[in-house]
Amino acid sequence: MGGRVLVVDDEVEMQRALRAGLGYHDFDVRAVGTGEEAIREAAGWRPDVVLLDLGLPGMDGFQTLARLRPATRAAVIVVSVMPGEKDKVRALDAGADDYVVKPFGTEELVARIRAVLRRQADLSSGEPVVRSGDLEIDLARRAVTVGSRPVKLTPTEYELLRYLALHAGKPVTHTTLLRQVWGEYAVGDKYNTRYVVAQIRKKLGDDPANPRYIVNEPGVGYRLEA
Amino acid sequence: MPAFGRWLPFAYAVAGAAGITAAIGLVQSHASVSGLSTLYLLLVLWLGATWGRWPAVAASICAFLFYDFFFVPPVGTFTVAGPSELIELIVLLAVALVTGQLAGSLRRAQGESESMASQSRALYELATVALKAPEVTNALNLLCGRALAINGVTRFALASAAAGRWEALAGGDLGPEEMKQAAWAFETGRTVGALMSGGTLKLVRSRPPSPAYVPMAGGVAIFEVDPGAIDDEDMRMLAALIGLAGLLLDRRRAVAEAERARGLEASDRLKAAVLSSLSHELKSPIASLRAGLTALNAPRAGLSPDQNELLVDMDRQASRLDRMVGDMLVLSRLEAGVELDTEPHSFVELVAGALRQLRPQLAGHEVRAEVGSDLPPVQVDELQAGRVLANLLENASEWATPGSSITVGARARDKFLEAWVENEGTSIAPVDLEHVFETFWSRRAGGSGLGLAICKRVVEAHGGTIRAENMRRGPRFTFTLPLARVRASI
Repeated sequence: MGGRVLVVDDEVEMQRALRAGLGYHDFDVRAVGTGEEAIREAAGWRPDVVLLDLGLPGMDGFQTLARLRPATRAAVIVVSVMPGEKDKVRALDAGADDYVVKPFGTEELVARIRAVLRRQADLSSGEPVVRSGDLEIDLARRAVTVGSRPVKLTPTEYELLRYLALHAGKPVTHTTLLRQVWGEYAVGDKYNTRYVVAQIRKKLGDDPANPRYIVNEPGVGYRLEA
Repeated sequence: MPAFGRWLPFAYAVAGAAGITAAIGLVQSHASVSGLSTLYLLLVLWLGATWGRWPAVAASICAFLFYDFFFVPPVGTFTVAGPSELIELIVLLAVALVTGQLAGSLRRAQGESESMASQSRALYELATVALKAPEVTNALNLLCGRALAINGVTRFALASAAAGRWEALAGGDLGPEEMKQAAWAFETGRTVGALMSGGTLKLVRSRPPSPAYVPMAGGVAIFEVDPGAIDDEDMRMLAALIGLAGLLLDRRRAVAEAERARGLEASDRLKAAVLSSLSHELKSPIASLRAGLTALNAPRAGLSPDQNELLVDMDRQASRLDRMVGDMLVLSRLEAGVELDTEPHSFVELVAGALRQLRPQLAGHEVRAEVGSDLPPVQVDELQAGRVLANLLENASEWATPGSSITVGARARDKFLEAWVENEGTSIAPVDLEHVFETFWSRRAGGSGLGLAICKRVVEAHGGTIRAENMRRGPRFTFTLPLARVRASI
């Protein structure tokens, strides 16, 4: 399959390693060292995925992300050494599609890139059914089934699951879920989302000690396994 | 008061008595009016109230003499004819003495309250200036100056100990013997050369004259006073100044302590910042190393199986290095006193997160989670508590007999959740059971010795406990975490 990957990292060694590693996995790779160059390349070359290091010199990763997001439809995977959970949440809320913690192995990175690419393809296909294992969420009919067993959810539970389904494979922050499910001015805390997720898991017959569908992203939020 | 002024009241007494005598004579020459002698009382009262006893007595004696001479028959002599004249004299004298006495004490009380008012005003002004002064030392110098302005005070100095060494703070230097004496007074809390109790100060006379030492909370006041040259009022002032010096020295100590605390806090922050930046610097090369090593593992890179194996080994070592750097950072942050972000969490979800994170390491083992879904939530920092579970599971996976099972269990007990991680395999030597949580203690040569130390720190930061014990089939690590007040299960 492949695809275009733009690497934004100020370390030449890292650029070279990723060019080689991703190249062996059939990706078309370009690497730049600054935020300004990244914005230029994103507009001109039109990559499918941008691997954006948060610790760039000069214009930092967050600034770059803010300028990149309206200008490109590319998926953005944020890369960082020891990101605090706040950084992860901030990046996701600013429009990043995923984050990867440095150091990482090439296999892990390739898996993440393929996941965001697949998600993009699914979204653009307009397919109304989202699947996660044997869980099916039919967005057009508002129907949820596990195997072939229909699952009855309350409107709040369905809204939350629907939002996770629309972003299947992507970590969704607690704040985003609260806002999406309870409205723009929702006052509440993570306890609300945890409670609703626990209810959904119960109805889906998911084992909380080893969940198959909705996975916790510690300190960040939840993700629907794609 | 000049000599002239001192005699003025007596002149008034004589002149007043003469004037009243003339007035009585004038009245008597026109009509016979009885009881006119009481007019003298007015004079006696006035003199007594204004100048005290003795001018009043003088006036009463003059009055008696004039009255007796001019009006009491036989007129023109000082002879006292009957007892009524004697009684009149005695009454006049008594009135003079009593009014003089009353007026005198009244004037003394007024004088005293005026001097106390001026004294407290002076103290108030000094205290205001002293407490406003940004540098306590300036305030102390001001205070010493005020004390030296008192009549009879020949020396006034303040000393305190800084880091075990005594030094003069204000009011001039002290000799080594004096320093020793001051230190002794401070340590024993005893006043030397004076008696100070409840705001009053008394001097103890000594020969030859030697300085007095008064210990206070933050230091010692040293002063020399000439007992003959100081009055009670000034002694009170001196006592009040010593009290104020005590307050200022206390403030100085508080300021010093606050500065020291700020310094410690800053050094903790600096330490955390240095470690954070150092870890970042260490991790960046490891990141490039791992990206490069794993890039070459792709089949398309065209390496032989032997070469691939070598690369995998190298990558494993790089990963280990990465974990050690990470552990060191985590531990140093915990030691610097990290703030916990606690919320109610489902323990089951914490277990799920740790199992997911360690999936590659746990691949060769069966993990049994004996954790009921009806457990009450725990009040923990999600990431830190997850780290405890991950470290214990990783530790178990390293020590478990290949293919054996690892058990995670939990139950609610009182206000805590008691959880454990147990594996099958070599037990821990009994002597080592209490050392496993120490920093850099490791059972195997390759371990960082930080994983279990981190567990202990995190658990204790939550108010829980952790212990290691040997079960029948292998070691078990048991720890407690506080339950959340929310009872609904999540």
